[in-house]
Amino acid sequence: MKILVVDDSATMRRIIMKHLNDAGYTGTVEAENGLEAISRMEGVELVLTDWNMPVMDGMSLVKELRQNPAYSRVPIVMITSIGARKEVVEALKQGVNNYIVKPFTPSILIEKIKSVIEVTA
Amino acid sequence: MDVKYINPFINALDHTMATMLGVAPERMTISVKSHNIALGDISAIIGFAGENVQGSIALSFPEKMALLLYRRIIGEVVTRINKDIEDIVGELANIVAGGAKTELENSRLFIHNAIPSVIVGKNHTIAHKGTTPFVLIPFQWETHYFTMEVSMKIESTGLLFKRALAARAT
Ligand SMILES: [Mg+2]
Repeated sequence: MKILVVDDSATMRRIIMKHLNDAGYTGTVEAENGLEAISRMEGVELVLTDWNMPVMDGMSLVKELRQNPAYSRVPIVMITSIGARKEVVEALKQGVNNYIVKPFTPSILIEKIKSVIEVTA
Repeated sequence: MDVKYINPFINALDHTMATMLGVAPERMTISVKSHNIALGDISAIIGFAGENVQGSIALSFPEKMALLLYRRIIGEVVTRINKDIEDIVGELANIVAGGAKTELENSRLFIHNAIPSVIVGKNHTIAHKGTTPFVLIPFQWETHYFTMEVSMKIESTGLLFKRALAARAT
């Protein structure tokens, strides 16, 4: 399964990709901001994105993808340090399929990803 | 500065380190700090702002601890501060600031966090965005000592009220 991991922190991308790999999800690709993510979308089946990033943030990326007919149905999971109610609601309203608050344990990450894959399959 | 505004940062740091490293740090005595020289070798600072508040939070680690954090989280040995170490320290601060933002809502303080910046070197400076002096919170984690600094400037509600009246008058 081709999963795109978007985060401005290289170590956070490594952590997420390691957990994915351990759970059997291989073929992961990465991007360090929303703009780079858009250029890597070809064939992507699931997007995991951070919110706070320079150049283009995660919420702008979600809006771009949801407006683009080619990617409007690709499941998106937001993985961010922001757990504030207002932001979570805003993200879900913009079309995010699930929301994970950092710091997370490997099992929470994989559980939420699995549930998104099941629901959107 | 009211402790109710400081506790969210302490709680967020506790939760972040407990989740990512398995062990929460032990908080030592809180004091105030009025100079901008960092106590650690590597620091991450994040500015934040809201309608009636402005400030910043910084985490400052000795080199040895920063290297150990990386080793524990990523599983790789790095012997000197490099881009990866800077990145993980910045991301830790980012996660702590995000957690604090969430809890500060309970005190009706709504903030927006900026992107972290990381400073490296002996006696580097940390340029806070709030008032001086600011709050210095030392921690012990395993055999290492590190610090969190929180600087915050909160406008009084009286001032906000005056501003609202002024806005209505125009
Ligand atoms: Mg980020």
